[in-house]
Amino acid sequence: MAEITMKNIVKRDDDGFLAVDNVNLDVADGEFMILVGPSGCGKSTLLRMIVGLEDITGGDMLIGGTRVNDKAPRDRKLAMVFQNYALYPHLSVFENIAFPLRLHGKMSDEEIRTRVQEAAQTLELTEHLDRKPSQLSGGQRQRVAMGRAIVRNADAFLFDEPLSNLDAKLRGQMRGEILRLQRRLGVTTVYVTHDQTEAMTLGDRVAVLRRGVLQQVASPRELYEQPVNLFVAGFIGSPPMNFVPAQLENGALRLPFADVPVPDGLQAAFTDRDVLIAGIRPGSFEDASLVDPSKIDKGVTFDVTVDVIEWLGNEQYAFVPYEAPDDITATLNELQADLDSEQMRLQMTVSLDPLSRISDGETVTLWLDTSRIHLFDPKTGENLTRVATATVN
Amino acid sequence: MKTSRWWTVAGIVIVLYSLFPLVWMLSLSMKPPSDIVSRQPQFLPTSWSFDNFREVFSQSLFTRALINSIGIALISTVIAVIVAMFAAYAIARLDFRGKRLLLSLALGIAMFPQAALVGPLFNMWRGLGIYDTWLGLIIPYLTFALPLSIWTMSAFFRQIPWEMEQAAQVDGATAWQAFRKVIVPLAAPGVFTTAILTFFFCWNDFLFAISLTSTDAARTVPAALAFFQGASQFESPVPYIMAASVVVTIPVVILVLIFQRRIVAGLTSGAVKG
Repeated sequence: MAEITMKNIVKRDDDGFLAVDNVNLDVADGEFMILVGPSGCGKSTLLRMIVGLEDITGGDMLIGGTRVNDKAPRDRKLAMVFQNYALYPHLSVFENIAFPLRLHGKMSDEEIRTRVQEAAQTLELTEHLDRKPSQLSGGQRQRVAMGRAIVRNADAFLFDEPLSNLDAKLRGQMRGEILRLQRRLGVTTVYVTHDQTEAMTLGDRVAVLRRGVLQQVASPRELYEQPVNLFVAGFIGSPPMNFVPAQLENGALRLPFADVPVPDGLQAAFTDRDVLIAGIRPGSFEDASLVDPSKIDKGVTFDVTVDVIEWLGNEQYAFVPYEAPDDITATLNELQADLDSEQMRLQMTVSLDPLSRISDGETVTLWLDTSRIHLFDPKTGENLTRVATATVN
Repeated sequence: MKTSRWWTVAGIVIVLYSLFPLVWMLSLSMKPPSDIVSRQPQFLPTSWSFDNFREVFSQSLFTRALINSIGIALISTVIAVIVAMFAAYAIARLDFRGKRLLLSLALGIAMFPQAALVGPLFNMWRGLGIYDTWLGLIIPYLTFALPLSIWTMSAFFRQIPWEMEQAAQVDGATAWQAFRKVIVPLAAPGVFTTAILTFFFCWNDFLFAISLTSTDAARTVPAALAFFQGASQFESPVPYIMAASVVVTIPVVILVLIFQRRIVAGLTSGAVKG
């Protein structure tokens, strides 16, 4: 059991590339911390610096209050689960799990057997103990890797994208297993993933990284509802948040499809710029004909032409094209590149009630909950609505 | 279908072509010496006999040579494999200055024409007093076997995922423990292949064996073959030489047949990754 403290951690690669830039992060004892971000954001590098497989260029890494910068991995008392599991193919499952215990050399065979059995029971591996890793399925291998981690009472668990090699169904199950295990053992855990579903469901807190810089550390709910900037807003949430240009005209916010009232306290934000980026979650829209009449006044209604409809049974998405000025488009394209995706065309995703009977190409009346609009500075990407709420509070 | 039949025919022709000398060798080794000088030569012996083998094994020229061959080849192989294992691990895993230079140097040595070395070595070895000794053969064998061993084995080491070793380190292993308990067992097929290839190289060598030896003390079988004589001046030594050749070929053929797959895997992995 230990807390992990990172103070001004910097990692500069041999070729001068700044992989991790001045990260400050505290992982409390027993906390489940997620490191998330698109590929190449430095999340794995950060994890490998915690465990000692990567040298730390600058800053202090403290585990349980002791500085470990110069300690070898074997002296840090951490357990790690690798992306490809890194099981020893020449050893049986039993010996794989017993490997860390045998290295210490002070434990009797009897004790090792008891502890391996115990770990195997926890992970339901008892009947596979004599088999070789190559005879196991992906999920079983994953569990063996976890068995090797839990068998030795490590101070903290580190996971490096442990589920990315599993198929979707198994991934869901294993996610639940990992969460249950962590809750039961109460061990400090740092978990790296690029999958935001894993980040949202597993983490007590989630740290979002972009190009080696820590963007926001917060609970999943706060990340979703109060993202600090465009990047976090675009990264968290599926389907992702829509970004549209917002112009101040005659005291109202002009979006490409409707005018909405300017949120309180944000008039000042427009004094030095004329166009902002409005971020609207797909779920903030609704088919106007299905909105409860008492609620309809809390938002605005407007007509748009739907390009394509995607009906998935339990949800339904409509895609609505829109226009934007060039500089906003440039900002959005850059953001998409950062997020590992490509903006093919400017279109909004609107989540609709699956009961709604809209078809492709139809003009429909949509309702938008104006209280859930975020406004971002197009230059810095900063979330202005978050600042506003913070000052109001 | 038609093309595949042609491939089969072509394959059979090639196999027959390359098998012919071997079968001829086998046939000669079974022939009585009189067959060799007869006026009507024929492919198969007139009467099959193992007398030639018996005769060969009764000569100390051959038995001594066989002991020398086995001893020198085994010692060279063991040393080459151990040294190459550490060298290859360092090349595959560690970043150090001059790594490329070392690798190209090793390759350069492997390419060096051996015949050009024989003369100088002969003089040096006499000066050093290791002419016609086991050591005198083991040293040049190591020189030429090591580069190949290092290249093959570093290809094998490179195939072992880095994570294996890192996992071992996180699990609490020292670098040496990780090497011994994880890397070496995983590289075992590579070590094995390298050992066999090195053994063949030493076993088959003729050039050094004939030039750097003069007596039974260190002469190996390929060199000794040239010294066989017939029972009398008028009898051909060919059947004896062939019998001895068959004896030294058999272990090679058996080894290849048993470890065929591993050798092929070893050679191709070296070709692709090396």
